Amino acid sequence: MGGELGCRVASLLEAEPWVGSLEGIDADPPRGRLRRAKFHRIVPGQHDRVVEVVTNFNPHVLIHIAVWEPHSRANPNRAAEFTDDAATSILGAAAECRALESIVVRSGIEVYGRGRGSVTRPDERVPLAPTSGYGRTLHNIENTADAIGRRIGVAIGSLRLAPVLGPHVPSPLGRLLRMPAVPFSALANPPFAVIHQNDAAEAFVSAARERLSEPLNIVAPGAITAGQAIRRGRRIPIPLIGPDWAIARQLMYLGGAPVPDHVEEMLHRGRLADNRRAREVLGFAPTTTTRAVINELYRWPSVVHIPARVAAA
Amino acid sequence: MAERRAHPSSSGGRVMADVPAEPDSLSPLPQRIADVITLPARTVTQATASATTNAYFTARRWLADEVDDWGRDNGLTNRIWMASQLRWDISVGGTEHLPKRSGALIVVNARRFALAPLFAALAIGADIDRPVRFVGRPDIAPFGPSLQRMGALLPIAAELEGALRAGQLIVVGAGHERTNARSGAVDHRLVGAAIAAKVPVFPAATASVLLRRNARVEVGAAVKSAKRRRGPLEELETADAVRARIDSLLVEMGGTLTGTPLDWFPLARIGAL
Repeated sequence: MGGELGCRVASLLEAEPWVGSLEGIDADPPRGRLRRAKFHRIVPGQHDRVVEVVTNFNPHVLIHIAVWEPHSRANPNRAAEFTDDAATSILGAAAECRALESIVVRSGIEVYGRGRGSVTRPDERVPLAPTSGYGRTLHNIENTADAIGRRIGVAIGSLRLAPVLGPHVPSPLGRLLRMPAVPFSALANPPFAVIHQNDAAEAFVSAARERLSEPLNIVAPGAITAGQAIRRGRRIPIPLIGPDWAIARQLMYLGGAPVPDHVEEMLHRGRLADNRRAREVLGFAPTTTTRAVINELYRWPSVVHIPARVAAA
Repeated sequence: MAERRAHPSSSGGRVMADVPAEPDSLSPLPQRIADVITLPARTVTQATASATTNAYFTARRWLADEVDDWGRDNGLTNRIWMASQLRWDISVGGTEHLPKRSGALIVVNARRFALAPLFAALAIGADIDRPVRFVGRPDIAPFGPSLQRMGALLPIAAELEGALRAGQLIVVGAGHERTNARSGAVDHRLVGAAIAAKVPVFPAATASVLLRRNARVEVGAAVKSAKRRRGPLEELETADAVRARIDSLLVEMGGTLTGTPLDWFPLARIGAL
């Protein structure tokens, strides 16, 4: 509930008539004002506190959004560790709740993997074969949630989100595309899709409302290539063909936009997913297209410096 | 009230404001004479405006720097279609069989080195003004991504099924043959994708010649399996039926063509080709 996405989901849930009471857990405090929700600040490793809070609350629906994308707020190792800790403690605690009817977990379309011969635009029935560290982390979350769901007889819904972009969402892809000079694969330049944070939040609320019991791809309509995104943002394109990616990654790291393996994979192999099932099951369709999200990405202000009203000391 | 628009040329290049006509002040004859005098100028103006508008929209369509949900670049594909007309002069028939909006699989015969699925997809797409994809891109850069921009899909049944469920028209090539006399084997797994997606399968015969520009694509009526099957036999039978139907379409189109004076002789009848 402390991140942008969690805070947005909480504020949308507050407006839902079917939500009686709402509680949230995160390592960081909420970034927006929440009127009805109760917030608990707990770091991912404190399993006993998480279990205590969750079992005391005894929810009907549990939404698990605590996923750290590598190089978004933590380095890949720490991100995987936080994500595993949070999934273990929250989903484990959920198993102890008698009233629980449904669990909705956050996943990503990285779980499909982009190995050679993989389907270009997979739907939910395509077998999962993650080929990046982030994809494997998400796959583990889905497996854990499925195992718990089967064990306690609760519906499990997974929302496989495309890369989430938003004005304040920490995203390695967003950071990379906003650099003054952006590398891209000259030989492939494949298409990818993203999702706006507001659409992702709406999808979570719809899934909770409908007691989702299957995985769904949540992807904005349309696609764009890195080259096209760079041209839209009027950045300097740096075409790379292969070995020079290692140097580019180091330079990007020094420049403040580290490129994790799943983003590099996306720039080489593309990342699309079929989003029709979400419309059928949830009646939900993202309102912002991929191209519109990328256009907005370049319109969001970088850092707004607000001068102090009163000079201090 | 009727209005008469004065022509710009009548006022030394200036555009005059519309002047309300007085029906009683001009007899029909002077009006007709005025119309006849201004006819060339009006025609030229209208033609110029129309050509400019068309050129603008064509340029927008060609130069569109966007890809669709499957990675097809419509602007690039339009440019390639125009360029391909230097190589092929394709006539297309039977497209009235194809659905207007929903998905369908079109199976074409393929002569070696003829790029039949590619030119058939481009020609059918141009004829029905709808993006048509084709199967057969390698999953390796730079060829795979380049073909993806033109609408190519991987030859995987799951990929095909997803695209067909999404309402796409897809061209699949049968096995390669040396001539256009007959069709090669049709991959039953790809036909099975269409059956799983519950979309019709259309046979289409293609005829092109290495040394000539003329090419022909003839789409036949949808093929259905003679018997309802519960298992995978349906896709095998449908694939065989499609192949047989393509063969009959090829016969109707005149059999094999070499692009040489040999075509003038009925060699096919004596089994020479």
